[in-house]
Amino acid sequence: MRRSTAVIGVTLLSTLTLTSCTGASGTSSNGTGTGSSSAPATGGTVHVLAAADFSHLDPGLGWDGGVNNFYRLIYRGLTTVGAGPGAESTKIVPDLATDLGTPTDDAKTWTYHLRDGLAFEDGSPIDSAAVKFGIERAWDPEMGGSPYPKELIEAPADYKGPYRSGDLDSIETPDAKTVVFRLKKSFPDFPSALTMPNFTPFPKGTGAAHAFDTKPVASGPYKVASYVHGTSLKLVRNPEWKASTDKVRAARPDAFEWTFGLDGATIDERMLAGQGADADAVNTTSSIQPATLSRIQTPQLKARTLSGYGGCTTYMGMNTSRTHLSDLRVRQAIEFAVDKDTVVAALGGSRLATKATAIQPPTMLGRTDYDLYPHSVAKARQLLAEAGLSGGFTLTLDNRPDAKNTALAVAIQEALKPLNIKVKINTIDTSSYYEVIGTTAKQNDLAITGWCPDWASGSTFLPPLFDGRRITPTANTNIAQIDNDAINKRIDEIAAMKDVAAANKAYGALDKQIMTQAPVVPLAYEKTITVTGSNIAGAYLSASFSGGIDLVSVGLKDSGK
Amino acid sequence: MARYLAGRIAGLVLILFLVCLFTYLIFFELSPDPAVMICGKTCTPERVTQIRTILGIDQPFLTQFWNFLSGLFAGRDYGSGANLVHCPAPCLGYSFQTNQSVWQMVLSRLPVTATLAIGAAALWLLAGITTGLLSAVKEGTWWDKAAMNLALGGASVPNYVLALALQYVLVVKLQVLPFPSSVAFTDDPGLWFQSYLMPWIVLATGAACLYARLTRANVIDTLAENFFRTARSKGLAPVLTMRRHALRPALTPIVTIFGMDFAALLGGALITETVFGLNGIGKMAADSIAKNDQPVIMAVTLLAAFFVVVGNVVVDLVYTTLDPRVRIR
Repeated sequence: MRRSTAVIGVTLLSTLTLTSCTGASGTSSNGTGTGSSSAPATGGTVHVLAAADFSHLDPGLGWDGGVNNFYRLIYRGLTTVGAGPGAESTKIVPDLATDLGTPTDDAKTWTYHLRDGLAFEDGSPIDSAAVKFGIERAWDPEMGGSPYPKELIEAPADYKGPYRSGDLDSIETPDAKTVVFRLKKSFPDFPSALTMPNFTPFPKGTGAAHAFDTKPVASGPYKVASYVHGTSLKLVRNPEWKASTDKVRAARPDAFEWTFGLDGATIDERMLAGQGADADAVNTTSSIQPATLSRIQTPQLKARTLSGYGGCTTYMGMNTSRTHLSDLRVRQAIEFAVDKDTVVAALGGSRLATKATAIQPPTMLGRTDYDLYPHSVAKARQLLAEAGLSGGFTLTLDNRPDAKNTALAVAIQEALKPLNIKVKINTIDTSSYYEVIGTTAKQNDLAITGWCPDWASGSTFLPPLFDGRRITPTANTNIAQIDNDAINKRIDEIAAMKDVAAANKAYGALDKQIMTQAPVVPLAYEKTITVTGSNIAGAYLSASFSGGIDLVSVGLKDSGK
Repeated sequence: MARYLAGRIAGLVLILFLVCLFTYLIFFELSPDPAVMICGKTCTPERVTQIRTILGIDQPFLTQFWNFLSGLFAGRDYGSGANLVHCPAPCLGYSFQTNQSVWQMVLSRLPVTATLAIGAAALWLLAGITTGLLSAVKEGTWWDKAAMNLALGGASVPNYVLALALQYVLVVKLQVLPFPSSVAFTDDPGLWFQSYLMPWIVLATGAACLYARLTRANVIDTLAENFFRTARSKGLAPVLTMRRHALRPALTPIVTIFGMDFAALLGGALITETVFGLNGIGKMAADSIAKNDQPVIMAVTLLAAFFVVVGNVVVDLVYTTLDPRVRIR
């Protein structure tokens, strides 16, 4: 008995060791690549390592930077954003349409013509009826996504989408290739709104009961080959897509493969190690962990590193309806007191964030850079003295419990200490955070949050946050609760402007005008920093997709590996 | 025996019902509004109300709970018109976040967790009982002291530390194993084994150490019993006395604790699954809690409770066959 069990134990151990020795299947790569500069080869499979699965494959439901990026591989819209680094990534370009549309009737009516030779993966044509049907889906009560179809296009109040209410008359289809939209009001920036995923066309009658969440109908260069929710997703080429009809998507690889549910630290280890198929991998959803930052110093790893703005602003809202914060001088004192350098340090240093002085991030069109409140404790003290509050008071800061937000909250707490302002941090669970700060009755004095635009125009940034008429008891986004007549009036004036570029410039100026009222403290513009596999080519970060690697352009250097 | 079993099963059903009720009550009373999370950034109060209606969370508590219970046994319908979906029994509803059938989610993830649990259990039973037995027989020797000290150390290492350390050494540094993935045995048996090896070791280590110490203590107690001395003095072969007279009585407490440990593991190995990126029940639980996805939270809670309760009944049944003293007639 004694001997036999001992032998079993030893045998087991040695089996484990032996098997594990034969386990090394990967060829470790010596990444000498230059990342984005070389053009990708055609073919091969790009692997994507991701922490979480997509919210929805149905573009009528999903709507965030990560999933919008993915949607472009399988879906096309009338317009989309440019495929290129820098400013190109925020430019609006035609996609299924021949141009950006013809506005008539004071930009209340928009006419689009479709390109030739367009078809869905099932072979049916992408015609005006498909465009109309796809957009009508947005009115179905079970759909989510961006508010723009319902906000902009004229519709009867009781219209509930094509599955329940049939056709919508305000989207006209005079012929198979022409679509005419009748809007509620003049909207010169309509081509930008059309880039939102819930303007995606679908064959008439498809997609009821969340069918697209498991089996989408592709219009883009790829279609879903297999999908195990939360685990993996494989895309293969959609043979009905023709490169000649598409000026945006390079679509070099033959396939894409996602692995979901990976731990953030594990993704970093895999990307740095680059074993086997990981050399062909990218990580599009998240930045590397701050702890990994110090490890990407070698020239090989630096060559594989991409960095850029996420296109959002992290800010602290000051609830202007509260006792002390209703005083402009108090808010301005806080603006002067917050040390942005400590804020950036709290976010992991200058490689992960730069300090914010304007409300809109640098990726916005027409933005102006300015700093109304350079760090000065003396000025802050003087303003508080004028307000008669030198003796100090207490403010409550609503915050989420994760490491990053905790570090930010502590930085604010420290910054306001010299003013005798005691900041009490009210930690709220992440899942209920927005419910609390979006309910005016539950919201406290200060709250750290962020905003990303829907496209790079001030119209999707400043009005939701600072239009006083948008304050609602629940689901409120104007967390400063600022209702300033001059700001409201200017928002209306800019919305009526016919020239989109001039409007964006005006939003840049409005940004500064709003900051004179000090409703928020812009804290930082956070950056995305990511390491690509050594065999990846054509990778750049797109400001339209929260700084993710633009999937329609990425590919492999050597597709035969 | 039949009456005993019927009684146990009735108790089982009652406990599961109470677990359902309390989980539902906690969600109904304490959790944040899932509609706000689904609504996203540009949201209106009207839209939140609309989402609450679609999810059915605007209904009174008892109505919601009754719908859930009846769906579990009889199935239920969701939506209306072209959006009508019939959810067949056992209907656990649809995920608030992804609209997937929760029952299908459970079915697709159960194999991963079962693989983890069975492999880990085999490993810890083998390693734990072998070590414990050897230590008991060689009580007081250097082997015994080394093994028991090691077991104490092993039992005190937290799962996540061991998981990250193993992954760093075996995968990143030595590159003898690939990064784990939820690959199916039928797709690639070699990769399957390599993927699950580290998670098995991580899950087995703590339990193996505990089982080694427990086995050792039990066997030492038994070796000092009169019946054992009698058996030895009758001249029975040492191997036979060990197996029949020492091991069997010493193992009954081990069976009890094993049944419960194994059942708990089937309910999901949250930390190990998360660290190694294995999409099992544990990872599903973690994700659903983070996203406040009530139907999924209900399902994982119910599943874990089910395994623990059933595990206990099975343990009791096995116990009666192993130990004649508690046999039921």
